[in-house]
Amino acid sequence: MNRSYHVVLTLALAGLMAACSSTPERIEDLEVARAVVPQVEASPRAGVAASNVSEARKALDRADKMADEGRKVGDIEFEAQVAVLNAQIANEKILTAQAREEIDKGTAERQAVLAEAREAQAKAAERRASTLEQELADMRARKTDRGMVLTLADVLFDTGQATLKPGAYATVDRLANVLKEAPDRKVTIEGHTDSTGSEDFNLVLSERRAAAVQTALLERGVQANQIIAVGKGMAYPIASNNDPAGRQRNRRVEMIFTDSQSKVASDVN
Amino acid sequence: MRTPHFRFGVPIVGVLAAGVLVGCSSVSEVTRERVARSETSVQQAQQAVGRSEAGALDLQRAKDNLDQAKTALSKKEGQKAERYAQLAQLDSELALSKSQSASARKAADELMASIQQLRQEVARGNAVATEQQ
Repeated sequence: MNRSYHVVLTLALAGLMAACSSTPERIEDLEVARAVVPQVEASPRAGVAASNVSEARKALDRADKMADEGRKVGDIEFEAQVAVLNAQIANEKILTAQAREEIDKGTAERQAVLAEAREAQAKAAERRASTLEQELADMRARKTDRGMVLTLADVLFDTGQATLKPGAYATVDRLANVLKEAPDRKVTIEGHTDSTGSEDFNLVLSERRAAAVQTALLERGVQANQIIAVGKGMAYPIASNNDPAGRQRNRRVEMIFTDSQSKVASDVN
Repeated sequence: MRTPHFRFGVPIVGVLAAGVLVGCSSVSEVTRERVARSETSVQQAQQAVGRSEAGALDLQRAKDNLDQAKTALSKKEGQKAERYAQLAQLDSELALSKSQSASARKAADELMASIQQLRQEVARGNAVATEQQ
């Protein structure tokens, strides 16, 4: 690689030098030939241009001999030009061989990468095929008579607020992916609160919390017809409201997954 | 009458024959063939190079040298024709090999770029899949 670039550079330089040649004492063509012929001869790929390399050498030897004998400059120049041209042709042939080697290697490499890509795709498909139930089981959803119920703890919201905390994004992202992979599945989002504050306040807060989760899922590309959001207020505690730990458990969003819309609808009704 | 006439005619015919011979030897059939072969090579190089940059300068030099060879041929300058024809031949071979190496290089570079792109896509695909897990 380096050697060939070296040759190219030298040839380019030689071209410049030849362009300026005018003095008869120093035969530029011969100088160029003396520089480039040994370079192509030394190339490890010289074999691909064997005839040009040997023609270049023969012409250079003739030119050198003529120069020693003090022959006419025009005659020496001609032989030197023949040597240089043959060396340049050899160099191009060497570069071509080099590029073709790269193509051969690259073609094999491309096959390998394609196989790798296909394997990755197959694995991704396998991952997608993992069912909603498995995902939900992973997320510790409880199986109830209403369907799979996933409880999102109050850590998703600040007290009295209905804005999702950044810490909730990972969970919501995951839920959104699950729902997008299973567009026929529906989910009911239920907001619940503790008993702190009035019943009306808690009902509105629970509705806003359910709506916040719904909006986050819609923003992540889940179809609107897959989601129903409702507020249940403080009417369905799952723990005592008399101590902070119990109240924290009661401040929650439950997601009820079912496998048909009718089941969700009947549940909501 | 006949005999002197005939005697006079012999040297004239001889000089004429010698002149023709000299003419033939100054531009031999071999040189003519050489120029014709160079012309074919220049045409082949022309087709290979087309409008591309690689080899264009060498092709032009080949054409110039071919013109010089033809001019020399018409002036019965045998050696000059021979040399220009040889240079035209080599220039056209150089033009051809430059255009071939340029297209091989382009193909190799494109292949490398496509592998690079493919690798990135595979890496991205894997990254997304890993995130999902």
